[in-house]
Amino acid sequence: MADHQISKPEGPVAIAKAEGASLNPLDPIARFNRSKLKQYTNIEIVVASILFIAIVILAVFGAFLQTHDPMQGDLMARFAKAGEKDYLLGSDHLGRDLWSRAVAGLQWSMACALTANIINLFIGTTLGLMAAEKEGWARTIIRQFTDTLQSFPFLVVAIVVVVIVGHGFVPLVFTLGLLAWVVFMRVVYAEATSIYQRDYVKAARIAGVSRIAIMFGHVLPGVRASLFVIFAFHFAGLLIAESALSFLGIGAPLGVPTWGNMLAESRQYLLKAPGMLMVPAGAIVLAVITMNLVGDGIASLSRKRGRSIDV
Amino acid sequence: MSSDTASASSAANTKTTAQDILTGLIPLFLQLRKLAWLIFAVTTLLFFVLRQAGDPALVLAGNDATPEQLAAIRAQFGLDRPLLIQYFSYMWNVLQFDFGKSLASAEPALGKVLDMVPRTLHLAGMAILLTASIAIPLGSWLGFKPENPERRMVSGFLFVMQGVPGFVTALVLIQIFAVNLRLLPSLGYEWYEPKTWVLPVCSLASFLFPSLTRVVAANVAEAMREDYIRTARANGASQMALLWKHAVPNALLGAAALIGTQFAALLGGSAIIETIFSWPGMGWLLLESVQTLDFPVVQALAFMIAILVFSVNASTDLVFRFLDPRLRTKGA
Repeated sequence: MADHQISKPEGPVAIAKAEGASLNPLDPIARFNRSKLKQYTNIEIVVASILFIAIVILAVFGAFLQTHDPMQGDLMARFAKAGEKDYLLGSDHLGRDLWSRAVAGLQWSMACALTANIINLFIGTTLGLMAAEKEGWARTIIRQFTDTLQSFPFLVVAIVVVVIVGHGFVPLVFTLGLLAWVVFMRVVYAEATSIYQRDYVKAARIAGVSRIAIMFGHVLPGVRASLFVIFAFHFAGLLIAESALSFLGIGAPLGVPTWGNMLAESRQYLLKAPGMLMVPAGAIVLAVITMNLVGDGIASLSRKRGRSIDV
Repeated sequence: MSSDTASASSAANTKTTAQDILTGLIPLFLQLRKLAWLIFAVTTLLFFVLRQAGDPALVLAGNDATPEQLAAIRAQFGLDRPLLIQYFSYMWNVLQFDFGKSLASAEPALGKVLDMVPRTLHLAGMAILLTASIAIPLGSWLGFKPENPERRMVSGFLFVMQGVPGFVTALVLIQIFAVNLRLLPSLGYEWYEPKTWVLPVCSLASFLFPSLTRVVAANVAEAMREDYIRTARANGASQMALLWKHAVPNALLGAAALIGTQFAALLGGSAIIETIFSWPGMGWLLLESVQTLDFPVVQALAFMIAILVFSVNASTDLVFRFLDPRLRTKGA
């Protein structure tokens, strides 16, 4: 009888045969199943990678993928529906192509969030490491400063500063860059403090390794995995903050095609052209979800490698 | 039987004496000192930064004012004195809770801000209430047995919702319920008219509840693996009793911290939702006054937000101390 198996399969080849897998060494599916890649891959990571690559392509090659000039409108073709008159996603109240504007907005938002995020990463990591190194005035001042910054909702600080320093890409990036590093500092501080207690750091100290070399060569690698994860999640947060400030009319200069500005413009035409709302809204949501997925993916990969990450 | 004795002994442990309460208040006094420093630092910083940002006399007089008019206004408000003198007289007034008059409406700035406080608290309170009443049951259900397929679908939905910013939800809700269905007003606020609350509160809650649900779910799932759950199960407790009497209360302790943080972030941080729905709260006033360079109001707002955020954090701490016996330090 087929349901009564006498001998169990032995060895990897027999097991593979019993599971019905092909043993052809050139069969890509079989090779994938046997490879290390498989144990690191799940559906979320696949989706995240596809979305992420799509966003990178759009951000880099956006100029070639735009079907129209995002700033130039055709007043004869206002409020076109999606697919009408070769407008892929429709047109807005000035007859400008929504797809091209969404791509331009993606480039603006990504550039803004990425630059601000890198500034955040540098400031937060450096301050966190300095505060973690030893007790003393540096730790007191840095922690006091972080607490002060944290005692206001981030948006309140950002609104006040952005209005004072003015419109535009550079002021916006520097406002976000110089104010939003708290999350990096807190995580680096928490993890680095415990790493500084490890024997290998103590040994390096006794061996006469310089403070800077210990900080960046011995302690920083220990927090690297967490930094990747926060970088991705924080990226999503900065995307939201950037479009929120632009939406309020205090971030990007008026008229520049950004998601926030597009949303602000759409409010007048909700009845006439719902697409004007849905296109930038969908773009923001997709971008934020992608970055969250990437963060989740990195976190689960590092967990499988035996590092634990708390974010 | 065993659960009776357990609850009796825990009641003896959790009895708080007056002395306990006093020692529990010491951190609060330390915190108050911190708050005083914070307000001093922020007021000073804002004073100098805002003076650099624009000339208050110019704001008052308008752009087409003659130099004589400007000089008269400067003399009237004491803006012609050296900056340091202005600073000290300003700080002296602040000590007496006098932030000066609003440049836009000539009302006292602090009074203008105090008018906004109940409205913002109303919005934030309702949003947190809605968030908690969705997140706690949903999170407990999710965390109880996390591997079911329908639970995975719900967590996928939560993941998507986490990526939708509150102001995007607000605009979509307006599109659906105010523009297309004409069911609810798209802006305006009346405290006696619940219809005007629905959309703002839902927009805020939609962004807050996914993260709270995920935290509750993670905490419940972790609690279910603890030894005391195994003991209770061995004692014959039912599944429901396990979840609601043992796992959820412990999970909520962790969630309380997040609820406090979320509530604090809404005090002023709900500026976008308040602006979208013309909800006259602190965030709305902040945007308005910063953009018109209404310095006294900005200063009074910063002062108020600092105090409110501080009180939320302090009361979260206190709630923790009373909820969690482990944090009640006896003589230590």
